[in-house]
Amino acid sequence: MFSEEGQKELERLLSRYPFKRNALLPILHLAQKENEGWLSEASIKFVAEVCEVSETHVEGVISFYTMYKLKKPGKYHLQICTCVPCCLVGGEELLEHTESKLGIHAGSTSDDGRFSIEEMECIGACSYAPAVIVNEDYHEKVSPQSMDQLLTDCK
Amino acid sequence: MIEETLVLFKNIRNPDYDKSLKGYKKSGGFKALKKALKMKPEELVELVKSSGLRGRGGAGFPTGLKWSFMAKNTGKPSYLICNADESEPGTCKDRELMLKDPHQFLEGMMIGCYAINCRHGYIYVRGEYFPSIKSLNAAIDELYADGVLGENAFGKGKGLDLTVHTGAGAYICGEESALLDSLEGKRGHPRVKPPFPAVAGFNACPTTVNNVETLTCLPFIVNEGPEAFAGFGPPNNAGTHLVSLSGHVNQPGVYEVRMDVTLKDIIYELGGGIRNGKKLKGVIPGGSSSPVLTAEEIDVEYNFDALSKAGTMMGSAALMVFDEDTDVIKLLHRITRFYNHESCGQCTPCREGTHWARLIVQDFLKGNGNERKMKRLQRVGGNMMGTTVCALGDAAAMPITSFVKKFPLEFEKYYTQAAA
Amino acid sequence: MPVFEMDGKPVEFEPGEKVLSAAMRAGIKIPHYCYHPGMSVVATCRMCMVDVIDMGNGRPAPKLQTSCSMDAVEGMKVETKNEKVQEARELVMEYLLINHPLDCPICDQSGECVLQDYSFEYGSGKSEMEYSKRVYGWRDIGTFVALERNRCIQCTRCDRFTREITGTNEFGMFNRGHELTVDTYSDRPMINQFQGNMADICPVGALTEKEFRFKRRAWKLKKTPSICVGCSTGCNVTIEYDRNEVFRLKPRDNPEVNKWWMCDLGRLTYKTLNQRQNRLGNPLGKTGDGLQEISWEEAFNAISGKIKELQPSSTEVLGLVDTHASNEELYLFKKLLKQGFGSDLLCFPEPDWEQPVSDFFIDSLITSDKTPNRAGARLLGLKGEKSVDAVLPKLTSGVKVLLVLGQPFDVESLQVQAASIPLVVNISAWNSGWTQTADVSLPGRLHAEKEVTYTNKAGRVQRVQTAIRAHHKTRPDWMILCGLMEMLDVENQVDSTESIFLEMADAEQGFKELQWEELSSDGLNVPQTLQDPGRTEVSELSKTA
Repeated sequence: MFSEEGQKELERLLSRYPFKRNALLPILHLAQKENEGWLSEASIKFVAEVCEVSETHVEGVISFYTMYKLKKPGKYHLQICTCVPCCLVGGEELLEHTESKLGIHAGSTSDDGRFSIEEMECIGACSYAPAVIVNEDYHEKVSPQSMDQLLTDCK
Repeated sequence: MIEETLVLFKNIRNPDYDKSLKGYKKSGGFKALKKALKMKPEELVELVKSSGLRGRGGAGFPTGLKWSFMAKNTGKPSYLICNADESEPGTCKDRELMLKDPHQFLEGMMIGCYAINCRHGYIYVRGEYFPSIKSLNAAIDELYADGVLGENAFGKGKGLDLTVHTGAGAYICGEESALLDSLEGKRGHPRVKPPFPAVAGFNACPTTVNNVETLTCLPFIVNEGPEAFAGFGPPNNAGTHLVSLSGHVNQPGVYEVRMDVTLKDIIYELGGGIRNGKKLKGVIPGGSSSPVLTAEEIDVEYNFDALSKAGTMMGSAALMVFDEDTDVIKLLHRITRFYNHESCGQCTPCREGTHWARLIVQDFLKGNGNERKMKRLQRVGGNMMGTTVCALGDAAAMPITSFVKKFPLEFEKYYTQAAA
Repeated sequence: MPVFEMDGKPVEFEPGEKVLSAAMRAGIKIPHYCYHPGMSVVATCRMCMVDVIDMGNGRPAPKLQTSCSMDAVEGMKVETKNEKVQEARELVMEYLLINHPLDCPICDQSGECVLQDYSFEYGSGKSEMEYSKRVYGWRDIGTFVALERNRCIQCTRCDRFTREITGTNEFGMFNRGHELTVDTYSDRPMINQFQGNMADICPVGALTEKEFRFKRRAWKLKKTPSICVGCSTGCNVTIEYDRNEVFRLKPRDNPEVNKWWMCDLGRLTYKTLNQRQNRLGNPLGKTGDGLQEISWEEAFNAISGKIKELQPSSTEVLGLVDTHASNEELYLFKKLLKQGFGSDLLCFPEPDWEQPVSDFFIDSLITSDKTPNRAGARLLGLKGEKSVDAVLPKLTSGVKVLLVLGQPFDVESLQVQAASIPLVVNISAWNSGWTQTADVSLPGRLHAEKEVTYTNKAGRVQRVQTAIRAHHKTRPDWMILCGLMEMLDVENQVDSTESIFLEMADAEQGFKELQWEELSSDGLNVPQTLQDPGRTEVSELSKTA
């Protein structure tokens, strides 16, 4: 089900834990990566078999953590923090600005599939607030203007 | 003029520092591990005990004492798990260590593994910390390539493996027992204690969970000795610690300070004072779970005991500063929203209380506040204290009750204009 | 046994036992939702919190402790009635009720709902919640239980049930925080065979039995302890009925037999107790015009008259019985044949059967032997036949009198052959092929209508009590057999279940030394280990079994 590289990583992960089921969280991240950023029913079935747990268990785990997605995100997934320190220096305004700029609300994807927005709780860049993660990259001390530039740069 | 005291940040503050394994060794790295390996694990535990090192994750529990609780002769493997979940709002210090000087942290982790006879250590990093995960994995690859990790890490035939385990977005997984459940591949629900992790933790084996910063203190303690470490502050508050300063200051950032520096010093000297020439209104001293302090209460030493005596706590040393223009109720609402979102939901007071408290504060923001609702908020929030499975209930209760106590006039601003 | 103190009274506990468990055994009531003795401890409902004023070392606990997770310690002092505990219970009730819908008027659990009971006993009686409650969508989850997620109080018993008890994992917890809910995975239906237990363990009306839904209010039901006769496991149950109609069976806990559980097929056997159409309600006699209702006197006269006419020898009287008959009835049947006719010709159906063995205890409740008293027949030394073919020759070997107790070998081929036997008598609660064949049919009673004992597959003798009234023209089968013996002038002192049992325990090796007084509703094991060559252990029942 995975690419060759993904299969290698899967085997490496399974070997690092005393029980296969312990590797569930990293393997779900891997399955998500292998499937364009989301988990389909087939992904869930595959992961359940590989980790030797029930599908109910996998679904229960997925619904507990925020990072596992059941719908395909945009090409650029904008994770904007609005928690306490970011909120103090304009995190919520940054989110509103981005939402109105892209015409979508947090939790949705743009029609052309280029952007999706997620409102985040503290992402651990508090001293460099406001902070945004685009896919896997941190962008810090983001203003509405620098956000505009960021959006333009994301082709 | 207060300055940083550079112990953990010694390399990080050096603009020419090369954070690769070669660079770390050049700056004196891995001498501590060599020294530690000459001691017996029990001796190492005693050494750390006498240094007075207290956990830097939020609870401030003496590390050496925690290690000594590990169950022995159980026939099961012992585990050291590093808690790099860093999700307490305001906290961004562990990432500095993992990103900018990973080998110092890894050396500390190795020393810790040796002290409690751990054969395979895990570093639980929160899933959003992509840069830190990459940095740690690259550093660990270097260590394996160099033979520092692997079959003979602690000597011939005495090996150590380290694995970075990624979380997936849950603040509650920073709680020790929820972290263990998450590490085992389950939902992150905190466990009933007893049994404690030191007896039955990861896969029911004896386990210790330590914070990143706590472990990073170990090379210094081993190299320079416990007295040197203890000398950075008042008794019972040993070492330096990393403060994540954020909010309405001119120079937010992560600073390493002694334990006898005051809150005032950190805000005005290191932080450059309140931005835009504004006045200070209040401070959340130790992460959003800690009781708030007003501007009149900041003349207190920033350490475990002094803050505890002042009715608040050091927690994860995340100092959030807000100025006179801040809408305190909006701030409180954001805090209650956070706990509502992050509650795992298993126990009744937290599951229902965090939700209800958030709805009440929201009601205030809509302009429907009154005294009865304020008292209700205090009751609903306060009742989560001491009645829950884990400390998140307490963590959600303390901001609510402290804000009501310290800023009652702010609530009155939102009292409904119509008759109550 | 070590002792701790609760509310000033001493409570004994087993080493390693939790405070709540010991208190419950001592009859002290501590409210709780998530604790269940058969499943792991999670201590998440927080209702069972108690004040530990002395942890056993002279110091009090820093805060209230959940008694379900706290190990009892010698010398511990616990208080459950002081103000702190009352306040804690009140606040837990308040928190639980802010999102719980006011469904009591339409909820089946009403009347046996611990949320209602505790709210009444420990709640504040008023609500300060002014905002909307959280609601979930509704979905049909399967054949046996209905799920109403709005009512769920997240005690997680159902989640632990499919994980720890049945191992089928089709039910789980999803989401987090105040949206925490239980559900099946991805719209799939429930698959385990023990779903009724989930409705039992659910403290509120979130999981209810579809069979019982909206049929009767729980407080109207009368309850009688009994056992399930759907198979040879003999799960202990309570028959719940109102105005002589049975509404459901619920398991009774018995650590020796079924612990706290029973299977869904067993629950459905309540329906047979209500069937009236197929019951024999009156003695029947065969005349030229077919079957006619006759009186008991006429029936016995007809039988005794025919026997005097036939004068059968000991080899000309055959008895057939099935293993739905109780111990007492099997014993009396054997006695009737031996002492009434000198006959040893008696047999019962004894096909091979399968017993699933698995890591999960609950799977052992299922078995392919759907009769309750095979072990009883074997203990009494009766002859079993695997198939109908073995019985056919017996019918054609010059038999003059055929006595059929129950519906053994109920197939047309035998009954056609039996039609040529001069006297056929059928004693049964049901109208079957034998009723059509028999010259005289005597109406018996079902297990819920009489007091008898059965022996389960593990050799445990269990007693049932009369729950519902049978038709007044029927008689308990053992009484009919006594009547037949009287008719034949057989020496018979017994005239009640107790006296039959005592005589049987005295006369039969299989039941030696069993005392009636000790035979409470929990049952007693027979002294010997049962051997049964027809039993095979399997991992799951084959489709044909």
